Amino acid sequence: MKRSVFVLVALTLLAIGLVASVEGRGGFALSSQDKASMTEVKIDNFSFGPAALTVGVGSSVTWINRDDIPHTVVSTDDAKTFKSKVLDTDEKFSFTFTKAGTFPYFCSIHPKMTGKVIVQ
Amino acid sequence: MHPFDIKTVLFAKHAQHVVLIHFPIALFIIGVFFDFLAQWKKQPLLAAVAYYDLLVAAISTIPVVVTGIFAWQWELEGQRLKGVLLMLLAMGCLSSVLIWVVLLIHRKTQRKPEDVLPEYRLPIEAVAAAFVVVTGHLGGFLSGVNGPG
Repeated sequence: MKRSVFVLVALTLLAIGLVASVEGRGGFALSSQDKASMTEVKIDNFSFGPAALTVGVGSSVTWINRDDIPHTVVSTDDAKTFKSKVLDTDEKFSFTFTKAGTFPYFCSIHPKMTGKVIVQ
Repeated sequence: MHPFDIKTVLFAKHAQHVVLIHFPIALFIIGVFFDFLAQWKKQPLLAAVAYYDLLVAAISTIPVVVTGIFAWQWELEGQRLKGVLLMLLAMGCLSSVLIWVVLLIHRKTQRKPEDVLPEYRLPIEAVAAAFVVVTGHLGGFLSGVNGPG
């Protein structure tokens, strides 16, 4: 009887631990990570990540160059909404989107590198 | 975008530089190779081949330098360069000057057939070829051809 109670308590504790662990990783922690990465675009290995980013009006987006070589972030819309200077490794560029719309951009040193920010 | 696409050639501004740069690199290196071969084999025909390779290599540096400066001024709005871009600019200019120096040495002899090509040109050519290779490597690294991308 004592033994089965002990096993039951142990299993319950294990189940609670597992649920807390999964929730910590996939639930609460992931949502805060998502929130942080939503407004950051990483430049690495000749690509923008994520290539397409959706943000709300008034959000700031920061591009950070994690590549070994310089890149730029230049919008290709007619209004030329934003244009960064040459970003060396670990340098950042931020822009605040005050209007809704889709803002495609590219790296002017490597035109094949493209991305877009969708502002809703 | 494709560098041989007409629209890209006309509108991508610095795509021309990426295409044109291959001409002086290839022609100069092969010109130096033929010149060394001509010196070794004592073959005037090989020396003539080397001369014309070097001539076209030197001429092709002009559009390369011009399109490189256009890319800097148009795409990067002439901002102060640093790092790999600055190194590429410096090495590119130095390589172009060395290519012209080598050509002028050859041209001087070409105009006076009785003259013999001076042997001091060979170390200059070797140094110039090394500069061209390093510059090409920097360009390749910058464009992603020689890099991780």
